[in-house]
Amino acid sequence: MQNQICGGALSLPEPPPEGHPQRTVPNAIRYHLIFAMISNSPTLRYTATDHPLYRVMQQRIAIIDGAMGTTIRSYGMTEANMRGDRFKNADKDLLNNGDLFSLTQPAMICDIHRRFLDAGADIIETNTFSATGIAQSEFFVEDPREHGGRKDPDFYAGILENSFLNDLAWEINEQSARQCRQLADRFSNETGRQRFVAGSIGPLTVSLSNSPDADDPGFRVVTFDQVLKAYKHQVRALIAGGSDTLIVETIFDSLNAKAALVAIREVYDEDGLTAKGTELPIMISAAVGLGGETMISAQTVEAFWNAVAHVRPISVGLNCSIGPDLMYPFLAELSQKADVAISAYPNAGLPNPLSPTGFDLEPEDMGRFLGGFAQDGLINIAGGCCGNTPDHIAAIARALEHKQPRPLTAPAVAA
Amino acid sequence: MATDSKPLRLSGSQPFTQQPGVFIMLGERTNVAGSPKFAKLIKEGKYEEAVSVARQQVENGANVIDICMDEGMIDGVAAMSRYLQLLGSEPEVAKVPFMVDSSKWEVIEAGLKCLQGKGIVNSISLKEGEDKFRANAKTVLKYGAAVVVMAFDEDGQAATYEDKIRICKRAYDILVDEVGFPAEDIIFDPNILTVATGMEEHNNYAVDFTNATRWIKANLPHAKVSGGVSNISFSFRGNNKVREAMHSAFLFHAIGAGMDMGIVNAGMLELYEEIDPELKVLVEDVLLNRRANATERLVDFGEALKAAGTAGSEVVEKKAEEWRNGTVEARLSHALVRGIDTYIDQDTEEARAKLGRPLLVIEGPLMDGMGVVGDLFGAGKMFLPQVVKSARVMKKAVAYLFPFMEAEKAEMASRGIVMRAQGKIVLATVKGDVHDIGKNIVGVVLACNNYEVIDMGVMVPAEKILARAKEVKADIIGLSGLITPSLDEMVHVAREMERQQFNIPLLIGGATTSRAHTAIKIAPHYSQPVVHVTDASRAVPVTTNLLSEDNRAQFVADHLAEYEAVRKAHLAPKQPMVPIATARERRTPITWRGEDIAVPDAYGVRVFDNYPLEELREYIDWSPFFHTWGLKGIYPRILEDERQGDEARKLFVDAKLMLDRMIAEKPITARGVYGFFPANAIGDDVTLYTDATRTAELDRLYFLRQQANREGKEPCRSLADFIAPVETGLHDTIGAFAVTTGLGLKEFCETFKADHDDYSAIMAEALADRLAEAFAEALHKRVRDAWGYGCNEGLTIDEIIREKYRGIRPAPGYPACPDHTEKAAIWRLLDVENNTGIQITESYAMWPGSSVSGIYFAHPESRFFSLGKIDRDQVADYTERKGWPLAEAERWLGPNLNYDPEA
Repeated sequence: MQNQICGGALSLPEPPPEGHPQRTVPNAIRYHLIFAMISNSPTLRYTATDHPLYRVMQQRIAIIDGAMGTTIRSYGMTEANMRGDRFKNADKDLLNNGDLFSLTQPAMICDIHRRFLDAGADIIETNTFSATGIAQSEFFVEDPREHGGRKDPDFYAGILENSFLNDLAWEINEQSARQCRQLADRFSNETGRQRFVAGSIGPLTVSLSNSPDADDPGFRVVTFDQVLKAYKHQVRALIAGGSDTLIVETIFDSLNAKAALVAIREVYDEDGLTAKGTELPIMISAAVGLGGETMISAQTVEAFWNAVAHVRPISVGLNCSIGPDLMYPFLAELSQKADVAISAYPNAGLPNPLSPTGFDLEPEDMGRFLGGFAQDGLINIAGGCCGNTPDHIAAIARALEHKQPRPLTAPAVAA
Repeated sequence: MATDSKPLRLSGSQPFTQQPGVFIMLGERTNVAGSPKFAKLIKEGKYEEAVSVARQQVENGANVIDICMDEGMIDGVAAMSRYLQLLGSEPEVAKVPFMVDSSKWEVIEAGLKCLQGKGIVNSISLKEGEDKFRANAKTVLKYGAAVVVMAFDEDGQAATYEDKIRICKRAYDILVDEVGFPAEDIIFDPNILTVATGMEEHNNYAVDFTNATRWIKANLPHAKVSGGVSNISFSFRGNNKVREAMHSAFLFHAIGAGMDMGIVNAGMLELYEEIDPELKVLVEDVLLNRRANATERLVDFGEALKAAGTAGSEVVEKKAEEWRNGTVEARLSHALVRGIDTYIDQDTEEARAKLGRPLLVIEGPLMDGMGVVGDLFGAGKMFLPQVVKSARVMKKAVAYLFPFMEAEKAEMASRGIVMRAQGKIVLATVKGDVHDIGKNIVGVVLACNNYEVIDMGVMVPAEKILARAKEVKADIIGLSGLITPSLDEMVHVAREMERQQFNIPLLIGGATTSRAHTAIKIAPHYSQPVVHVTDASRAVPVTTNLLSEDNRAQFVADHLAEYEAVRKAHLAPKQPMVPIATARERRTPITWRGEDIAVPDAYGVRVFDNYPLEELREYIDWSPFFHTWGLKGIYPRILEDERQGDEARKLFVDAKLMLDRMIAEKPITARGVYGFFPANAIGDDVTLYTDATRTAELDRLYFLRQQANREGKEPCRSLADFIAPVETGLHDTIGAFAVTTGLGLKEFCETFKADHDDYSAIMAEALADRLAEAFAEALHKRVRDAWGYGCNEGLTIDEIIREKYRGIRPAPGYPACPDHTEKAAIWRLLDVENNTGIQITESYAMWPGSSVSGIYFAHPESRFFSLGKIDRDQVADYTERKGWPLAEAERWLGPNLNYDPEA
């Protein structure tokens, strides 16, 4: 089945987020503001300016990988391949639970990561877009709606206590990060060019901003604290597996993203990363619709930036959703407003059922579009989301090889 | 508000950015403490109705809504979460930022967990000590919100000025230095406390607040100030008339001191201008604590009002009905200014019957009323929410008239009459720029030639211009701008037109625009003709050709060839440059001698209010006045010019009549400020010291140096050359000034526009511009006198106008120092905005437009020059000195770069 967008799962209650967790990591590190605060602020000591990814972005446009979900499809995997021995008795279909392949078909997943690195990606994303207990519950827990019940905070209270789901989520995150770590290190050594692992944190299948109950606009299926807890678990596992950065991506509900960002902050504080100055840089990427608003919570690009700027991410950008041409004006606006590195990894155009990847644009098309972004000085990190194969990423890398990155300006200094 | 202050940026689903000079209204009706009605709805669980209270506030223009559930009978955490979640599902409400207001920390945290955007926490304080304060601030930062900090500490609430600033300073230092809280997100509430309580120690509370506000704005960079306004008048509970007057007058003074925002019931705010003059004096006596028995006098007045029955709401209503006795024009105007829609259909109908045609109602009384609204708002006497209300009333009136207009059109068509304009032209001064005299002239000229002109005014963003052009199916778009940054904005508009596939020509005009810039920087971004129009007289031929079926093709072909030639010429080799180090060695040769250093009578800042216009008249330089009207020549010879003399003489007579009237009726106010500061040059910077001991730096001015490799021994000049270098040991002085004659101008012009007398309106604007320049000249004379050397310069006024004197006053943004942003330093040094009312826009244009600012140099060798082109090495050096990003420097210095930053 084809999800046209990463967030597609949200509108369809049952189907899992599916492969679509795109991979593509934007990258870009920008330290910037942090720099201004470093001198006095014990809580913001990490010097992103020193981060090697930042240094890469000073020199050139960094390349982030392409889509995991749509690329997996080209391997012709079956439900049985997905389940392997370990999940052979699962009650529900698992084929579209793409993250699980990192456990059941690690050779295939590692092959995809490898091909993206071969194609020239500086950054690969972990295959963990839906690796939280909340998202995994879609595949493993009976839906109360089948029996006239509903999903609500009580239901999710149970999910968060479900040790099978928690352990599975941890394992996917940690394993996938390790797999990526190993490959990235191997490529770094072999090519003399440092590669980075971005721990992917997806948007979940539930929204903190919307009510699915037509009669009660104030209802929420899940609470902020529940989402926060699930994300903290994921963040810890991604760090444990050796991620270089964390990427909160495909944001279609800014409140979900905020929960993820609060989770990251709390993990840094509670686990001593803050004190030691070993915080991982944060990358942020939203998915906007045709009008330039986050797809579920309808927040405009500038409003979104205002809402997340306080975490001083190394990059902010747009991914997934509409293709590169339609994304352009919103990316241009973000590039103008935000004072950190800008990432763009759009889908390969709009969904096209007749195309082998399920999307309109061929590799050369993506190279041309992203080359245009670079030409106009909009980006520091480029790659692709749904529909972008390793060939697409190679075309993008070629197109951007000699393009200047958007200038990484010095921090705004208080007058 | 200091213009270099970083604005507060917030968001709901839409972004909110604080605008310079615009007071932020925090809606208070969703506060259980502020609204018993809202409290009742929440207590009864009527959340749906409670949501409509928020919706009304947003519709009425609240920028941010304050939500408070602190009430004994309400479960704060549950109510806050539930209410915010409901608001989150209400798109019209969710677009604005929310202020989460509670004295209970758990309620605030619950609120933060419901905000997708960036809101405000109200509040935290040092009441429970530094540890708790720090922890709470960190939490706020973690969720990404701005924060209100109450002036409270372990010992309680700060009542006096000294306590307020001490506590605010302490809180600021902890937040900025220890927590890493962004300074622009800190909003101090220095406690608005009740005055006129009868307790003598309370008498100075309003003054203390205002002074504390001023101190905070001056000493705690980027911090904002807010407060709950209704507290001030608590002792007059039950007497709304006095309370409204107090709120309005208090805000007037507090905003003047820099207050950024406040919790205010917009509906209960009398216009400052409309406060009964007697009451205003009494109220201000109390607020400003300026007479011993002020409280008694106000209480007596209030009692008398009560006795007369005019204090309560019934009488307000009764008074409200009095306006119904006026003419229909007066009633429409009143309804628009006060935002009353009760009778709007009825009055509109009456006006339509009276005037005969629906269009006449719109162009007449309705536009007049909106003109008044615009003037009051422009003068800071109306607030945005009130303007929004006015606009809604206007919309209703127009909606009422719409069917009549359609019927009229159909009727005319049936008789075979097609009303056809020559073409539709949308005109606008681009975003960030406020200058529009030239554009107005173009508009009038085009309208007189039967074009339909849609003038969108000043500071118009690209998307609005283009949307409007689409909506009205414009045939041409004309962009205007005076200041350099407008050039970039014009490029942006051209790009957007290309992207949106417009197919109509674009005209470019305004003082800094040029044919070369248009050809090289703007035209390549848009595939339709982009034509630079030198002045109004050229507009009609250009538009006529562009819209002519017969001539268009030839005109466009000629035009494209011409611009292509311009671009080719531009590609010719750049000017040779010398490295900046070499240029510095070739600085203006000055032998530094003590006797050339002028010493002022005193350091510090002097303010001139109501400067006599008759004195300024003497100093008017008339030549530029004639240029404004397209008559090129030197005064007085222009009056005898063979070709232009007749026109020039007529114009001059009209100008003098208008000037007489302006001097007699004083519709405009001249205000100015200047200051002297001990200074020395350090490289190409000039450092200004806090006082004559020259131990501490007060501020710094940054100058650029000529770098074009000028033949022979010509020096590479910089304005910094004219201030004694620190190593000379000489005690030099630098001066700065800002003057305006634009205050009141807009209202004055509107009176003409209301009569459709655009000629007089433009005349008044052109004269105000001349008076501003004259003011700068007159003030410079005083400054030279204060500096001593001016006293016996013995120059005639004519010689002064021709600048025969010693010393110069270059303005940031002009050839010797083209960096507009240096105006920010002048604004800081002289507190220009508070002292004169002149504001700077985001593009560093001055508002009102008829304003001049600059820097004084007194050295006998100081002289004007044009910076010309500069090279990368100097830009990099300048960037470093100013602590700017390179791109920022290249943006502001674009026209001076000897290289293409994009190459």
